[in-house]
Formats: sequence, structure tokens, C-alpha cells
Amino acid sequence: MEELDAEPPLMVVPGADPVARQLCFAWGPAEVLVCETLFGRRGTGEGGPSASRVFVVRKDQDIYIQTLRKLFNESHGIFIGLQRSEEELVGKSRKAQLVQVSKNYRSVIRACMEDMHQAACKFVSILSAMELIWNLCEILFVEAAAAGPLLLRLLDWVRLHVCDVDNMVREVLSSENPSKHKLFWNLGNTQTLTEMELKWQHWHEECQRYLQDGTFASNSHMESICKILLGDEDAILEKKELMTTWYHFLVTRLLYSHPTVKPMELRFYAQSSMDLFLGGESSPEPLDTILMAAFEFEMHQVIKECSIALSNWWFVAHLTDLLDHCKLLQSHNLYFGSNMREFLLLEYASGLFSHHSLWQLGVDYFDHCPEYGRVYLELHIERIPLNTEQKALKVLRICEQRQMHEQVRSICKIMAMKALRNNRLGSALSWSIRAKDAAFATLISDRFLKDYCERGCFSDLDLIDNLGPSMLLSDRLTFLGKYREFHRLYGEKRFSEAAKLLLMLMTAHIAPCSFWMTLLTDALPLLEQKEVVFSAEQTYELMRCLEDLTAGKSDKQKFQVDDVETMKVEMLRLALARNLARVIVKEGTLEGS
Amino acid sequence: MIHDAQMDYYGTRLATCSSDRSVKIFDVRNGGQILIADLRGHEGPVWQVAWAHPMYGNILASCSYDRKVIVWKEENGTWEKTYEYTGHDSSVNSVCWAPHDYGLILACGSSDGAISLLSYTGDGQWEVKKISNAHTIGCNAVSWAPAVVPGSLIEQPSGQKPNYIKRFASGGCDNLVKIWKEEDGQWKEEQKLEAHSDWVRDVAWAPSIGLPTSTIASCSQDGRVFIWTCDDASGNSWSPKLLHKFNDVVWHVSWSITANILAVSGGDNKVTATSDHYTRFAMFLEPDEN
Repeated sequence: MEELDAEPPLMVVPGADPVARQLCFAWGPAEVLVCETLFGRRGTGEGGPSASRVFVVRKDQDIYIQTLRKLFNESHGIFIGLQRSEEELVGKSRKAQLVQVSKNYRSVIRACMEDMHQAACKFVSILSAMELIWNLCEILFVEAAAAGPLLLRLLDWVRLHVCDVDNMVREVLSSENPSKHKLFWNLGNTQTLTEMELKWQHWHEECQRYLQDGTFASNSHMESICKILLGDEDAILEKKELMTTWYHFLVTRLLYSHPTVKPMELRFYAQSSMDLFLGGESSPEPLDTILMAAFEFEMHQVIKECSIALSNWWFVAHLTDLLDHCKLLQSHNLYFGSNMREFLLLEYASGLFSHHSLWQLGVDYFDHCPEYGRVYLELHIERIPLNTEQKALKVLRICEQRQMHEQVRSICKIMAMKALRNNRLGSALSWSIRAKDAAFATLISDRFLKDYCERGCFSDLDLIDNLGPSMLLSDRLTFLGKYREFHRLYGEKRFSEAAKLLLMLMTAHIAPCSFWMTLLTDALPLLEQKEVVFSAEQTYELMRCLEDLTAGKSDKQKFQVDDVETMKVEMLRLALARNLARVIVKEGTLEGS
Repeated sequence: MIHDAQMDYYGTRLATCSSDRSVKIFDVRNGGQILIADLRGHEGPVWQVAWAHPMYGNILASCSYDRKVIVWKEENGTWEKTYEYTGHDSSVNSVCWAPHDYGLILACGSSDGAISLLSYTGDGQWEVKKISNAHTIGCNAVSWAPAVVPGSLIEQPSGQKPNYIKRFASGGCDNLVKIWKEEDGQWKEEQKLEAHSDWVRDVAWAPSIGLPTSTIASCSQDGRVFIWTCDDASGNSWSPKLLHKFNDVVWHVSWSITANILAVSGGDNKVTATSDHYTRFAMFLEPDEN
């Protein structure tokens, strides 16, 4: 187990009883339940105050902030686009593509900041910090700006984020040699780095000469400007109050002393700038540490510090993913061998699952985690409350698309049970068929049959009529389907087919014994048709069935003579005998003709 | 005094059990806490509750000092006792439902040293198997291993149950963690894990994330929390790793659903959540000092 390198944050449960209480807990799908208790089960466990309370502690509260949802939704689209983007592009075009993705993420952050600003939400400053960090990472890592353009980018970066940055620049532009400055500002497009350096050197020397000649001696203001232009640190530091931050100071310094700074040199200037600016008065804040790590090109450090400082995984997950696409991250081995990108995406997506609709975004993130995405999805998707049929169907579709058969079966079983508890037999049956749950299908079929016996009609006819091959899932279900078919045939007056089916249900033992009496009773109207329906052989079969039934009964139910039952049996015997008589005559007469 | 509180599968309902002999169920959707049921039936403090998988309906098990295990079920909107097991001679300390793939099976650990396994066989009938003398002096905790189908993972034809190897872990007053395996319908002691120097208070078998290793967390009166791992390929060798030694008794350990965080609570008034992956992430919860 890795050692913790920082003291973990202590979270006080508000309102928990002081002194005598201890805390026990349990995991929910997305939260921790904490309740006051006293451990130590001695005897009856009496003693101590009687009331104790339960608290629900959630880790990912950010999910519930309305405006952040826009961030999650829009960045999801960018993320998916990135995963599917053209890997074939190489070199400059690929880099340009990645820079564009980075800019897109930033514009989403800015859009959210706009909304939050309107709503005066406290998150604005956090988003602002996020955008600041991301922007710097874009310049240094994604775009990997080279010496020359690097400073320009940094200038833009500072300008974008600091309110009154332009004071210094305005002063510069109002000075005596604007043309020389224009030269400086026009670099990048037409000039090579060396050309630019030479020009800058030349200008720098000229400025120095002016200063030494005492040209500005009469005007202390102009003199200090000249010193600043020459990159004199002390002079710049004197104007400290105009610069809000050490990185503003850093960029200013670089502008006047090392405009062609190389990326790898940044770390030295950054460190000294921070030291000079803070001057030992204040210690670095988390944001400062993160930016410093970026200037030092310590990507892993940036990610780690951001993970600690920020309250949710959104930032580190998306940034790390982008850096991974830039092929900048070495595989950093964690406990179970997963890489950092995947780890962060898994954590972020897991957090989304605690939300009633954002979980759908989480699915896509899991899809793009090759090692554990699938199993995490399996574990989380089962915990989504299936409040409505539509939601259940949505979840099912996701599982079916990914061949998650176990989850499909589990969800169908849950829905079947729910439907049964609410007495929606048709729904319960279709769910158990979908779950291929034979036992449940049998149970529900029995309920249907019971209903029929009590009410004399079937519910959910559509479903039963169209069972098709799924009828074979369970014997009882098959019987239900066939029995309904019998009724249909009877209704369509296809009596001989109906008769054949009815008999088959008993002789092939598809019908449970408990149902035979009902079937035989159903045979009565067929026996009493004007036209003879049952053949002699069939009639003998029916008689045999009746005898089997009554023989079986008489042993067990000697003392339970049911008048209605006896009457039914008598009626059947009579009807069968009559039918037999008629059919013998008919068959005897028609024979040979 | 609440002794245990458990969320249901979806986090929509909360069950609590208490020394006042009641089991209460709350609806906790949208941050609310509405009492749905107050179940009476135990004659002593109730130590633990456990929710069964929703595919079996709304079912809750509870165990108590009164030596009874009660299974409660919601039918037509009301909660009722559906089964009561009184086969233990002493306080029943822990109940745990098996993975839903095995059916509806409940393991119960008792101070009489035995572990009973109650299996629902249909039509309101339950079958009981008992492991006597599982732990001398008493059994304090039981925890099932996640269901893993041995061999291929091809979809089984309907109606056919795959050949699961059922296992669970138990912790007892003999300072041991034991692993039990079902063979030919009988439960046998498969492993004895020794590392604690005092009563084992809780065991928790980590959910599976598809790795070829099994992981169990155990905590004890001795203040230690161990993580036991077994490389499934080699079969049966479990090795312990000390997670931490706390200054007081550790009562409870539990894994999050993706097994990336283990939470631990103890006599030192804290609940610690630790993640083994990327340093950080310990969350200490402490009652408010006046």
C-alpha cells in the first residue's frame, strides 16, 4: 500500500453527537451511510442514549450543481469526438487537431463561467482557475510552443486571465521608440528565431545606451520605464502592485529580458519569479504549486496536484486523456496495473452514475477504458434504479449492445418481479420470457391459469396468442399457450382441431393433472355438438382420462365428496357415452362409402 | 441505539436496526427520510440487517441477540415476516445474502460458534444447513465471495444452472478468518487465515473486477486491518498485508461496489476510507466536538 504523502482531509459530520458516540457506516451505491452507535455488544446492549441518527455522506456533490451539468454534457461530446478522431493524422495536422480539442474544452469551461457569473455562483473562481491551468497546459504540452511563439502565447495567457495586465504594455507603447517596438511585436510570422534575437539584441543595446547616456535623467518616470524595458528586475518589482500574480511578473520579466526563452528554461525563471514576487511573505497556494509544476514540465505532478486540489474528477480526467492522446504520458503503474488515464476516467465516470440522468454519459466513458471499463460498467449499471419501464428499457438496450447477458437477465428478472408484485401479469410474463427465466414463467403461467379458472376468461390475450417459440421456455407456459389456442380454435368453430388439441394436452401430459377436470369440462360442449366431433378412438381416450382422474381422486378424497364434482363427473360420463354411441353409428354407417 | 444501517441495492431505501428491538425501513429518495415500516418481531437488540437482491422482491434479513434470524418481505405494499429461524443457541451476530446467481441463500453467524445457511426452495419453504463449531466461542461475521463461473463464460441455455463454486468467509472469536467452500452439497472448511491476535470483528470479501485475484479485508479487536489476497491461478495460498494498525478496536470493514475504496470504522470515532490506487483519498469522518 502506497504511503499517503499528504494528511488526508478531515471531514466533520455536522450535527453528529459529540463525546460518547462512535460511528458505524455502510456503503450505498454512491454514498456512505454513517450512523451514531456504540460498539461493544455486551449482554443486552442496553445503556447509552436511546436515540441515534443516520447521516448520508456523498462524495460527488458537484454532480448536483445545475450549471456544472452543462460542463459534463458538452465535454462528453468533445471527449467522444477525441476518442474517435483520426489517428492517421501525424505531425503538424494531428497536433493542430489536438490543440483544437483543447481549445474546445476551454471554451466549454468559459461558457460555464459565463453562466455561473450570471448566477453569482461560487464556482466561478474554481472554473477560472481550471481554465488558467488548462490553458497553460495547452501552451506547454499540447501545442508545445517553441522558443519565440512561446512568449507570445504566454503573454496572451496572462492577458486573458489578469484584469489590469495591460498597464505595463500601454506604458511601453507610449514611449519614445514605438517603431522599434512594432518590430518586436511583428515577429513570429516572417522572421526566424535568430533574426528576431538579433533584432532584439540590437534594440536592447540601444535602450541600454540611452539609459547610460542619461537621456532620461531628467525624467525619473521615463528612466524607470527604460529600466523595465531592459528587464531590470528590481525596476519591475517596484511596480509589483500592478501585477497581480507571480506568473504575471514572470511573463513580464521574460518579455523584457528573455523574449526568446526556450521551453526548458522556463522552470528557472518561474521558480525565481515566484520567490522574488512572494518574497517570503506568503507561501504558495495550491494553484501556484500546480502552475509551477507545469512550468517544470512535470505532467504527472500537475495531474496529482490537481486531483488533490479540485473537488471532482472532471478536470484531471479530461486533461489526462488529452495528454495521453498527445502521447505524452508514460505508463504510470498503479496497484492493479491500470494506467493513470484509465484510472481517472473510471473515477469520473463512476461519479456520474450517482446522477439520475448523467449516468448515460458515464457509459461512454467506460466504453473507452479498455481494461476495466466493462467490468465497472457491469457493476454500476445494475445499481441504476429502474423506476420506469422506459428507463429499464434504456438500460437494457445499453447492456444488450454490449453483450452483457448477465446484467440483461438480472434486470429482466427484477422487472418481472416488480410487475408481478403489482399484479401486472402480462408484463411479468414478457419480462420473464426476456430473462429466459423458466421458473418464473411457470409461476406466472400458473397465476394466469388460476385467474382463468376464477374468472372464466384470460387477461393479456395478445401476449399469450403471440408467444411463438418462447412458449417452450417452460412446460406450464407451453400449456398456457396451447390452452389459449384451444379456446381460439373453439371460437373459430374449428371444432375437430380444437378437439384434437384438447385431447393431446392430456395424453401428451402437457396439462398439469390439476387442470384435467377443467379440460374435460371444456370438452362437454364439444361432446354435445350436433355434429359428432370426437372419433370413437378419441372418445375412448377421453374416457380413460376421466377414469384416471377419478381413480386417483377416490383414494385420497374419500371423505371429501363434492356434490358439484360428482355431478360434473356424472355429466361427463353420460356425455361421453352418448358421443360414443353416436360415433359408432356414424363410423359404422360411413364405412366403405 | 442503532447497530446497523444498510442501503438497498439502488440507494432508495434505508433499513436500520436497533437495540430497541425494531427494524425500521425508510424511503430516502431525494434526500428525504420517510418511515415506511417499523418491524417488530425480535425480542432483543437487533445487530444486523441485509437486503436481498431486488430480483427476489423486497426482502430484508435481520439477526438479533434473541438468537433469531427473521426474513421480512414486502407484499402488496406491506412488510411482513416471511420466515423465522430459531436454530441457534446464542446471539446471531451477522447475516449476509449470497450472490443472487446462487438463489436466495442467507448465511448467519452466531455466538454459539455455528454458521447456518438458509436456502429458499420455493413455496415458502426454506432448507437449513448448519456448520457447527465453525469458530470456537463464537462467529462474528460472514461475507460471501462474488459469484464466478468456472471455466467458460458462454451463455448457459435457459433453465440450466451453471456450476458455481460457492464460497464465503467468516471471522470469529478464535482470532481466525476462515474460508468455506461447498462440495457435493456439504460445506467444508477450505482455509484458515491466521494473523489477528484478538477476536475478528468483521470480514468483507471484495467485489470482483475481473482480476485473477481474490481479496478479503478483515478487522479485529486487536486494532489491525488486514487485506488478504489469493492468486486464483495458484489456488489456495492467501497472503495477508497489514493495512493499518489503529489505536482502538476496529469494528467494521466494507468495500465500495467497484472495490476501489475500503471503509473502516473503529472505536477511535472515525470512519476511514482508503483507496489503494493513487495515494491520497482518505476521508476521515469524526463526530463534531462541542
